[in-house]
Amino acid sequence: MSLDVSTRSRLPRVHPRNCWYMLATSEEVGREPLGRRALDTGVVLYRTTDGTPVALEDRCAHRPYPLSLGHIEGDNIVSGYTGFVYDAQGFCVHVPTQSEIPVGARVPAFPVHEDGVFVWAWLGEPALAALRPPPATPWLSDPGWATLGDVWETEADVLLLHENFADITHVAVVDPFIAPPVLRSSPPPLEVEVTETTVSFSRTYEPAPIPAWQAELLELPADAEHVQHEHGAFVTPGLWVDRWDVRVESAPNETKIHTFRFTHALTPISSGRTRHAWRVSRNFALGEQAGRALLPIFTDYYRRVQRILETMQDVLDADGPRKEINVSADAAALQVRKIIRNMVADETGARFRGARSTGAARAH
Amino acid sequence: MTVTTTKTIIREHETDLVVREAQTIADDVVVLTLAAPDDAELPAWTPGAHIDLILGDDLTRQYSLCSSPSKPNVWRVGVLRAPDSRGGSERVHSALTSGSTVRVRGPRNHFPLVTSSRYLFIAGGIGITPILPMIAEAEAAAADWRLIYGGRERASMAFLDELAQYGDRVTVVPQNEMGMLDLESVLGSPQPDTLVYCCGPEGLLSAVEKFCENWPPGTLHLERFSAKPQEPVAEADSSFELVLERSGLTLQVPPDKSVLEVIRAAGVSVLASCLEGVCGTCETEVIDGDVDHRDSVLNEEEQAANEYMMVCVSRCNSPRLTLDL
Repeated sequence: MSLDVSTRSRLPRVHPRNCWYMLATSEEVGREPLGRRALDTGVVLYRTTDGTPVALEDRCAHRPYPLSLGHIEGDNIVSGYTGFVYDAQGFCVHVPTQSEIPVGARVPAFPVHEDGVFVWAWLGEPALAALRPPPATPWLSDPGWATLGDVWETEADVLLLHENFADITHVAVVDPFIAPPVLRSSPPPLEVEVTETTVSFSRTYEPAPIPAWQAELLELPADAEHVQHEHGAFVTPGLWVDRWDVRVESAPNETKIHTFRFTHALTPISSGRTRHAWRVSRNFALGEQAGRALLPIFTDYYRRVQRILETMQDVLDADGPRKEINVSADAAALQVRKIIRNMVADETGARFRGARSTGAARAH
Repeated sequence: MTVTTTKTIIREHETDLVVREAQTIADDVVVLTLAAPDDAELPAWTPGAHIDLILGDDLTRQYSLCSSPSKPNVWRVGVLRAPDSRGGSERVHSALTSGSTVRVRGPRNHFPLVTSSRYLFIAGGIGITPILPMIAEAEAAAADWRLIYGGRERASMAFLDELAQYGDRVTVVPQNEMGMLDLESVLGSPQPDTLVYCCGPEGLLSAVEKFCENWPPGTLHLERFSAKPQEPVAEADSSFELVLERSGLTLQVPPDKSVLEVIRAAGVSVLASCLEGVCGTCETEVIDGDVDHRDSVLNEEEQAANEYMMVCVSRCNSPRLTLDL
């Protein structure tokens, strides 16, 4: 029942609101109110008696007291100070001092989507939620995949996290142990693919050894060489899905593809602060023992990344932004920035650098 | 540790889709319903987005998506057979039938629906297609909106049945019954807090542009069917130096080559599609240089801001142009 309160000053940044963001894991949401912040908005999450997740603004309409500090009664939530009672749609249904409900007494209710792993909420224009299907991450609950992960807050703006996931070159620098050895060699061409709303990048590496820890898990000789393929996808401003494939010639004319899938659900809590849920799924070595071996390896890696991003945020906070030098490999990150910038501009009523008076042509 | 430059290839999403249905819904208008062969989800899009249909070598045409972003497994486009066109619509009508496969690129969106409490939509003929998902979204968001939809005659006007649900928010103006659209009555006096979205033939667009000159800047959003008529250039094009900052390259653009051609000849990957300054795909960030804008995408303010250019058609007035590539 903790409240996230930003304590650090940061450069003002705006994040797209018309997007599904992960507010909590499914286990975190239950019959006790859970207070969360996302997009500078307090949200209280709980489940009704039939298990349906509810997301309301975390502030009683009568006095500025968080509903998450109250309690649940049936399908309703009761303010821990005013005693006002709200139903799952946010309508006030009872006040202690009178039988009439004050006109307009309600708190905003946010559209919610639960996929069995995460609880996603839509904090933008409520009516648009139905017109934007939430992203699907079925592998997270598929028995053909074994998944591990964690969730924490990173004291860095979500844009720094996006830029981190848009290029994996730094992995070899940050953590030589976890990094596939091919990342230290001259990389093959990077292919970046864009649509209106998504960016992905991929490249295929010539046969090379895989990290020792992975060879051990796959029971392969440490020096055996395999074709490897990386793929990263910015699915929405709240989700990255990445993949690392190792092709193994398991028998003559038979290739097995051993895949790690990396799922990163990113939620801007406020400017300069981000909730980061990460999941590493694998379609090989599905046993618990492998999971126990892998969890510390990936936790250590993502903690390193977290510290680096927080340090960058500190530099930005202390010295302000500067024009940064970009290189050819930054193409994906620049496309991600462009999509986010355009989303924010469309939502705030000012398409980037002023509304356009002309647009694309079609050849009807 | 050897270091060589990472070669980066940037391209738009491109895939083969199956025509699930090809239905004639008005005179000379066919609506194609497209889906992946395995009915997998297609890339997400927002109202105003369009795709390329790649109909053959050198025959690529853009069509607005007129389905709903809430249906991620199908895309729908409406195509008018235009006898005087360059052959794209003819090919769609003759070659694409239920079950056929078509190569598709995109989606991209240079006609986005910006949030507003009030909208005035103006559609001429097949220009109704991008407007359809826009009004669905405006209606869902409980915005105050109107659509004025003009066409030759009722039988030629697509989607009248789908528009019926919106009642008197929609004004249908068949020319043979009611004459031309009365733009004076809807655009004559500027309305506060209203965005105007217009798509249709060039005559309608230039008329709407003229009426909107008195409206607040940023009011008008429109989409053209083809390149905006350009003022003839008096002098011959000159050559200039081109610096690609991220790539670390300095190149020369001769009078007879476009910026895009020179970039590509140097082996640097850049997005492009229509090659005539209308689709907006090759929009590139300008770091330095006085751009000679010749596109139909950016408005006057945007061109004057000199922050972006369409490298397929626009050039440079100053001796050096520096781009973020």
